[in-house]
Amino acid sequence: MIAVMGRAGPVPGRVADRSPMSEGSSGLDVRAAFVEHGSSLLGFAVNALRDRALAEDCVQETFVRAWRARDSFDADRGSVRTWLFAIERRVVLDVYRARTRTPSVVPLEHAPDPVATVADPLERLGMAEGLARLSDDHRAAVVAVHLEGLSYREVSERTGVPVATLRTRVFHALRALRTHLDDQETTDD
Amino acid sequence: MTDRTPGVGADDGAGTGGAGARRDELTAAALADDLSPSERVEFDALRAADPSIDAELASLGVVVGGLSDFGRWDDVAPSDGLRERVDAVGRVGDDPAVSHIGPHVATARSGRGRRPLLIAVAAAACLAIGAGGGVLLATPRDTVVAGPAGTLGAVEHVDFVGQPAGVDLDGDLVAHTWGTETVLSIDGLPTGSAFTVVVVGDDGREYESGAFLGSDVRVDCRLNAAVLRSDVASVEIRAADGHDIAVASVPPVTS
Repeated sequence: MIAVMGRAGPVPGRVADRSPMSEGSSGLDVRAAFVEHGSSLLGFAVNALRDRALAEDCVQETFVRAWRARDSFDADRGSVRTWLFAIERRVVLDVYRARTRTPSVVPLEHAPDPVATVADPLERLGMAEGLARLSDDHRAAVVAVHLEGLSYREVSERTGVPVATLRTRVFHALRALRTHLDDQETTDD
Repeated sequence: MTDRTPGVGADDGAGTGGAGARRDELTAAALADDLSPSERVEFDALRAADPSIDAELASLGVVVGGLSDFGRWDDVAPSDGLRERVDAVGRVGDDPAVSHIGPHVATARSGRGRRPLLIAVAAAACLAIGAGGGVLLATPRDTVVAGPAGTLGAVEHVDFVGQPAGVDLDGDLVAHTWGTETVLSIDGLPTGSAFTVVVVGDDGREYESGAFLGSDVRVDCRLNAAVLRSDVASVEIRAADGHDIAVASVPPVTS
């Protein structure tokens, strides 16, 4: 399940996504990549697995694999962010499958939250990744409206962002999620 | 999916124009059942004039349905511990095999002693290397993650014993979140004969890790077993008849 992703477009107010890779070389600046993308990568893993410790292991493993494969990174095929997410997707999927195969008995208070509330757990992983890859503002809007069930007016009162802006953010976030899920289906076929 | 949300330039409607932005805004409101009565009239008029809106509504409605099944979203920030662990990736360690950070670290090494091992993405991947094979190899030690046995991502050398005369065998273990990876470099086993690698837990339970064929050239293999390194007692290579070819006892994880 290795999606061929489009390149990241520049986001207003952000530095172009190239700093973690030294230009003209295959060296990976792990620290810069982690500063830039660590929160998003962790968000994907935490919300896919519902296990903070396991999710942090996944993020570490993602960077270990990225470091190993740093020579194979090709900036012409996608951004560092896209590359890291592609690596993490395999890590999370491996962990998910391993956990599914080897259920363990743990005290109730230590049991992770249930994950599979949808028929296909892979759909959940795909949705988690899609949400993690949104900008913070777009994810916050779509989470407030479609996960928390708030009205746009309520979100606007809470955040100070105009209703029209929130609606437009959610529209674009939903489109981005649809594209992401469509890409996953294509690459899974 | 493009990262960080495509179309963010149109965040406030500037990118798609007034009419398009209004259509997008009303579509989002409709998907959340958040249209006012007057907006509903306006949106119905837009839909009548542009049938593509209904197609978009249906398509995005599927996404909304998926979101409703998702549950909650937890916003998280990396811990200091994770930051330190990731910082250790790619940092020059005490391993003399790693001289600097950069693309040249992965240069193949050859000769006696520790053999070059293939870094591959696929699990249980094997490679038979002929003379002058021209394959760029890297040792897993290039991960530069250091630490005692059981450290995630760190390469732990293990000593196999019992192999027949003429069999040159080198092995490492790598602890992962999902299990234990065995990295083997083997020369001298009968060509075409099948061998299995079994990881034995400290409770005696056996975990199948994979199989490979002997070759007249050196074979490099990476095999994964669904048992955590902290629960591993030994790694065994077995012939097709089940007899051990070589066994490596591994130290307990203490931390």
